[in-house]
Amino acid sequence: MWLVYKKELLEILRDKKTLIFSILLPTLIFPVLFFAIGKFTASKTEEAENKEIKVAFVNAVTLPGFADLFTREKGFIKVELESDDYKSAILDKKVDYIFEVPEGVNLPADSKKQEVLKVYSKESTRLDQIMGQRVDEVVDAFNNTQRMELGRNFNLTTDNVKAFNKPILIEENNFASQREKTGEFAGPLLAYLLIALAVSGAMYPALELGVGEKERGTLETLLLTPMSKGQIVMAKFGVIFTASFFTVVVTLLSYLFWVWIFSFAFEPSGVAADADSLTGKQSGGGLDFLSNISSLDLLLVAVLLVPLTSIFASIMLSASIYAKNMKEAQAYMSPIFMIGFMPVIVAFVPGMELNMKTAMIPVTNVALAMKDLIKGTVDYGLITILLISTAVLAGGLLYWTTVFFKKEKVLFRS
Amino acid sequence: MIEIKDLAKTFAYDKKEAKKKKGKTVTDPREGEGVFHAVKDVSFSCNAGEVLGLLGPNGAGKTTTLRMLSTALQPTSGQILINGHDVTKEPRYAQKQIGFLSGKTGLYHRLSVRENVAYFGRMHGLSRQQINERIEKIFTMLDMHSFAGKRADDLSTGMMQRASIARAVIHEPEVLVFDEPTTGLDVISAKTVLDFIQSYKGSEMSVIFSTHHLHEVEKLCDRVCLIDLGETKFFGPTEEFAASTESGSLYDAFLASVNNKEVA
Repeated sequence: MWLVYKKELLEILRDKKTLIFSILLPTLIFPVLFFAIGKFTASKTEEAENKEIKVAFVNAVTLPGFADLFTREKGFIKVELESDDYKSAILDKKVDYIFEVPEGVNLPADSKKQEVLKVYSKESTRLDQIMGQRVDEVVDAFNNTQRMELGRNFNLTTDNVKAFNKPILIEENNFASQREKTGEFAGPLLAYLLIALAVSGAMYPALELGVGEKERGTLETLLLTPMSKGQIVMAKFGVIFTASFFTVVVTLLSYLFWVWIFSFAFEPSGVAADADSLTGKQSGGGLDFLSNISSLDLLLVAVLLVPLTSIFASIMLSASIYAKNMKEAQAYMSPIFMIGFMPVIVAFVPGMELNMKTAMIPVTNVALAMKDLIKGTVDYGLITILLISTAVLAGGLLYWTTVFFKKEKVLFRS
Repeated sequence: MIEIKDLAKTFAYDKKEAKKKKGKTVTDPREGEGVFHAVKDVSFSCNAGEVLGLLGPNGAGKTTTLRMLSTALQPTSGQILINGHDVTKEPRYAQKQIGFLSGKTGLYHRLSVRENVAYFGRMHGLSRQQINERIEKIFTMLDMHSFAGKRADDLSTGMMQRASIARAVIHEPEVLVFDEPTTGLDVISAKTVLDFIQSYKGSEMSVIFSTHHLHEVEKLCDRVCLIDLGETKFFGPTEEFAASTESGSLYDAFLASVNNKEVA
């Protein structure tokens, strides 16, 4: 069996497609693309935050201080309109925002009523929205000064004004730890990532070692050797499992490596901040968040992947052996991937948690347990139950694959 | 020595196939109720040092018979003996004694020729030294040293077939089964294969040679077994088979013996 395992592994490693899809893509190309997109997004956001916004005012003399507030604010420039055609001025990018003060509008502090201004702009992109937020912040500042002024005019204290503004202010005292809060977000993300990698990592070797061998005629050659069919299946399963698990581990390590590299390479406001946002940490890169997770929990995340990967390796190997040709096998893989992923989605429906019942649901249980391990709220007793139930299923599926492989109808299906 | 007695193999149709067949006129006498008798009654033998030609039209049941001989398929009934050992009862013995080569059995494309042959040597339990010695001998015999280090996916069809022969004989089997080994080969490559089979004539090996090329049978085979519609139609010396028609031609004898209607 070991002989077949070594040979299959050697062949897989000599395949350029395997190297690209299982190693190069997840470890180098994806992280670089991921961080490059992050960097690009961050730079675009930064550009929108620092971009000089051209603002024009029409009849603003009736609102003293309003226009001045913009001109005093960094990043705003007051421009004069050349015509009454607001739309052309904005579309031709001569101005970004036009504030029009209608006739009869006065300072609210003086008129003691709500006044309505008109603003003209063109907000269609995410970057436009960021600029819009900057404009809103200035308007909010003006509103604040008017609110205080109104309070004074009505002989109200600052507290009275605050009460009018927000009758009840909630002061939050959340006993959830930072790890729990971050884990609630990062846990599912990690589970999605790991399970997707485990499934996709098993797919290509399964195709190669099943239907690939059938198509090349090497499967029949292999069946004529004194090696038992059971041993052949076990060796093939072993290679698929190794490739899948290796892909997950290598990708995770590469992800940690790249987070570490980019944490140093870029300012926190840039890419590192994006990477941090994935793990919910404000600074120091994603590694800081991981440092809160115990080695035992990280080890358990890896252990959970063992039966999970076995399940997918068995199913995919069976489908691949059953298929008449590569095209048919590939047609089976997509539904397996989709159906296999459904329980992961179910795991993150609000209210789903790891308990005696969910610990018995394949895949869902692993996803829930991963989330709890990352959050630090896991019940280790349930992990044991989960591992037993998943291992039984994985063992059952592997046995079934072995039985399946021995069927003439499957091996010589045409 | 190989003995095949009253061999039969029946395949059950799956639900989809059975549904397709239902209500249709039966054109092949091997079709039964929900089953297909691929091999109904095949008997022949092949002595040591003999080359037996296995003849028959496409779909006659030759490959199924050879797959049963090689243990890939289980016979429904009948007996296959290799040196007196029942193949179904002692499959490991049979697998060690048989070297099988067909047009369909391939090589591992990402392994070199040498690695491919050595791998199958290891699978048959040979030591490294035994493998090296045998590789040296076979590669010289088949003139393979020039491409021994090449990966199988870089080989020409002829090179590939020679490598496949080497793979099939690395464990020095007592029974050699060649299932249409010259199909798709050019004249020179086919000659290499035929010369190799010829070299085993008179040795201690039993060689079963399945082919559609009757001139190859004429040249190589001591006896022939003609299979048609899953049954042995003739088994005996090649000359006797050829003499069964007035022209004395193997070609005419073949056409006279088989069902000329193509079965669907």
